[in-house]
Amino acid sequence: MTPLVRSKLLATVAAALAALAFAVPALAGNGGFAPVPPASPNAEGITQSYWFITAFILGIFVLVEALLIVFLIRFRRRRRHRHADGAQIHGSSRLETMWTIGPVLILFAIAVFVFAKLPGIKDVPAASAGQPNLVVKVTGRQYYWQFEYPNGVIAIDELRAPVGGVVQLDVTAPPFDVIHSWWIPALGGKIDAIPGRLNHTWFKADRAGVFSGQCAELCGLNHARMLARVEAMPQATFDAWLAERQAQQEAGTSPLGREAYDGVCAKCHGLAGEGNVAVNAPQLQGSSLVSDAAGIERLLRNGQNLMPAVGRDWSDTQMRAMTDYLKERFASGN
Amino acid sequence: MATSGGTPDVPSWQRGRVAGWLVTVDHKRIGLLYIATAGVFFAISGFLALLIRTQLAQADQSIVTGTSYNESVTMHGTGMVFFVVVPILAGLGNFLVPLMIGARDMAFPRLNALSYWLYLFAGLVFCLSFFAKGGAANTGWTAYPPLSLQSPGNGQDLWILSLHILTLSSLAGVINFVVTIQHMRTAGMSWTRMPLFVWSIYVYAWLLLLVLPALSAGLTALLLERQFPGTFHFFEPSGGGSPVLYQHVFWFFGHPEVYVMILPAMGIVSEILPVFSRKPIFGYKAIAFSSVAIGFFSLLVWAHHMFTVGLSTPLNIWFMLVSMVIAVPTGMKVFNWLATLWRGNLSFDTPMLFAVAFLSVFVFGGLTGIYLAAFPVDWQLHDTYFVVGHFHYVLFGGAVFAILGGLVYWWPKLYGRLLDERITKPAFWLTFVGFNLTFFPQHLAGMLGMPRRIFTYYDTGLLQAYNLASTIGSFTMGVGMLVFLAAIVKSLNGRRAGNDPWLADTLEWYTTSPPPPHNFDSVPYVTSARPLHDLRRTLKDSGAL
Repeated sequence: MTPLVRSKLLATVAAALAALAFAVPALAGNGGFAPVPPASPNAEGITQSYWFITAFILGIFVLVEALLIVFLIRFRRRRRHRHADGAQIHGSSRLETMWTIGPVLILFAIAVFVFAKLPGIKDVPAASAGQPNLVVKVTGRQYYWQFEYPNGVIAIDELRAPVGGVVQLDVTAPPFDVIHSWWIPALGGKIDAIPGRLNHTWFKADRAGVFSGQCAELCGLNHARMLARVEAMPQATFDAWLAERQAQQEAGTSPLGREAYDGVCAKCHGLAGEGNVAVNAPQLQGSSLVSDAAGIERLLRNGQNLMPAVGRDWSDTQMRAMTDYLKERFASGN
Repeated sequence: MATSGGTPDVPSWQRGRVAGWLVTVDHKRIGLLYIATAGVFFAISGFLALLIRTQLAQADQSIVTGTSYNESVTMHGTGMVFFVVVPILAGLGNFLVPLMIGARDMAFPRLNALSYWLYLFAGLVFCLSFFAKGGAANTGWTAYPPLSLQSPGNGQDLWILSLHILTLSSLAGVINFVVTIQHMRTAGMSWTRMPLFVWSIYVYAWLLLLVLPALSAGLTALLLERQFPGTFHFFEPSGGGSPVLYQHVFWFFGHPEVYVMILPAMGIVSEILPVFSRKPIFGYKAIAFSSVAIGFFSLLVWAHHMFTVGLSTPLNIWFMLVSMVIAVPTGMKVFNWLATLWRGNLSFDTPMLFAVAFLSVFVFGGLTGIYLAAFPVDWQLHDTYFVVGHFHYVLFGGAVFAILGGLVYWWPKLYGRLLDERITKPAFWLTFVGFNLTFFPQHLAGMLGMPRRIFTYYDTGLLQAYNLASTIGSFTMGVGMLVFLAAIVKSLNGRRAGNDPWLADTLEWYTTSPPPPHNFDSVPYVTSARPLHDLRRTLKDSGAL
């Protein structure tokens, strides 16, 4: 090897290493080359499994494509006659055995790693004496998420949770509704919300912030607008919020009406009640119906035309919050 | 085999140009009818795909409504799976299987005709769905209840009806394939001397035979429950039914259906690669038996489509492990194909380009499947654009690339004339580049959090960039397909092909292009999986060639 060749080789290797050094953080910061950066131990376990599998998959992919390209170049016809025979090789039991056993070993390694990670992903951490797990009932409905806290507080589309606390989700859909799928990528995998079936998942947010996601199972014409958010906040702030919200809900002053409007109505009728966000959804702004509480209740409980029965099983408190808000917001015409 | 001299006894009313096609029971004509009809459905379903990509080109667009979008997605998926890929393979199989095994026709020619006309009828009912009250079916090609039970109007009913008719067509067709392949192989063609494409059609036929009844049952239950909601409660939970039951039934059919689409594609590639490498296939038996193994295991993995349903962990583990097992025979095929190229004399005619492209992208589609088989990872990726990207790598980059390659390869046999390489090569490159530009970014969009089947999205950053790239790619592919069509149109008066323009080794090239109604005047005794190669060698040894 001449010095010139050697220095060229070194430069190439250095450049490749530099590229790799840049590529790794670029991939970690992800851009879609890995699942959304995790903010909960279960999502973390999934991302680790993803990278473990990627190591093998990338290796096999590069191997196969490299062999393919080398063979295509090396064994192309060039000046041979197009009908000249190639080497008449019919097979090789030894090689074929090798590339049967090789994949088996790789798959075995992947399975072992995934099963080792599985308890950390699937099992809800046990509640400690000082900090019981918060259990929230999540129901997917056309086309919003409803959250019910143990103290009776109801929220729509935005779930609040304490940082560092284990939140256990009981996920379902009402018997009259369709299948939805609960998914906040940073906080773990998805779990279907199926009518007549109760599923469980959990998360433990490791930092404060808002994590977004959306329904992942086709649920009808407004599936794309069935968004969900989880806002993780310090434990004390969360406790204060939950207590305040409960008091407000009992006094009839909670923002539930507005939340329900934004989550349940506005996805078709518009945030300003302008109508036609989804096709043929009537304008609410200035409509005579908005001050007719009984009429609205009938509509919400039964649905009409393309409008699903969004409030079929709502409690009276929830229904009143909605009708009060509609009247206050739109009856005066502003 | 007896040779048939003289003109067959055809009544005069059947001799017209149109009438001849309407009453034909000739497997070659039926095969061409299948291929042409599937081509029309390919254009319709492809148009819907471009509509989908146009709507998703930018964030928060409203070119189509949520309902129309769902209709497009449903009809695109159903059309491509049921009315394009499976029937076009049936068409190629119909034309080629009797020729490849040295038979005069399929075992039951009239049943064969019936199965084509039922397919066409099913297709018309399927299209009627667009004009139904309430619009076309809009609950996805999977039609999960309760959504599909609540879907208003008759679009969903017509969708069910069309698939019922299609199921009858397919059952008739596959029984014909099984009987033909088992009983009509020419003298000397033992199971291990059968062309690999015929092997793959044999497994294709058995799989459909085993799983189509499950689809029929599921659809019947769905139809009954839609029509008599007070009486039947198979799936509606408020009446005591289970929506998950439908998913089990559907995927028991639906997963093998994937292999129904990919195995014959693999068969096509196993025919093309050796011919353009001037070599025998590497490990004939391994490739044939791996098709059988893949077919068998595909019957045991259905619930890997249901990892987010909340099945018990032992079930999830079972379905994960069996899904991974399928990677072993599939990997074996990939390495055997690679080894077939090794020390060959490679010519890059268009069929070879498509076959090599198949190999390069199918590997990617197969490998990304491993993420989806590992169920905790699937919890993140399930029902996102990652899955959309994955299965298009398998079904477009895999099945459709192989079918296009197969069409170019066998076109001289189908039609007697060659496709013009100067047109098919640009068509190939447009399709190949457009394909990767369309479907690679979809994996990334999925991992950014984009679920499938959403009619719009709101992120204007990276997600929109990936979607725009995908849209540009899809239109590039669309242009590629139009160029391909131009090659077909031009071949109407293209260069005439001899019996065997590629110097291939299987029996279909022994007869004229196109073959006469009775296929062969005589069939040589088959002494290996490469009868024409043997024949050439014998002639050469005797000094005749």
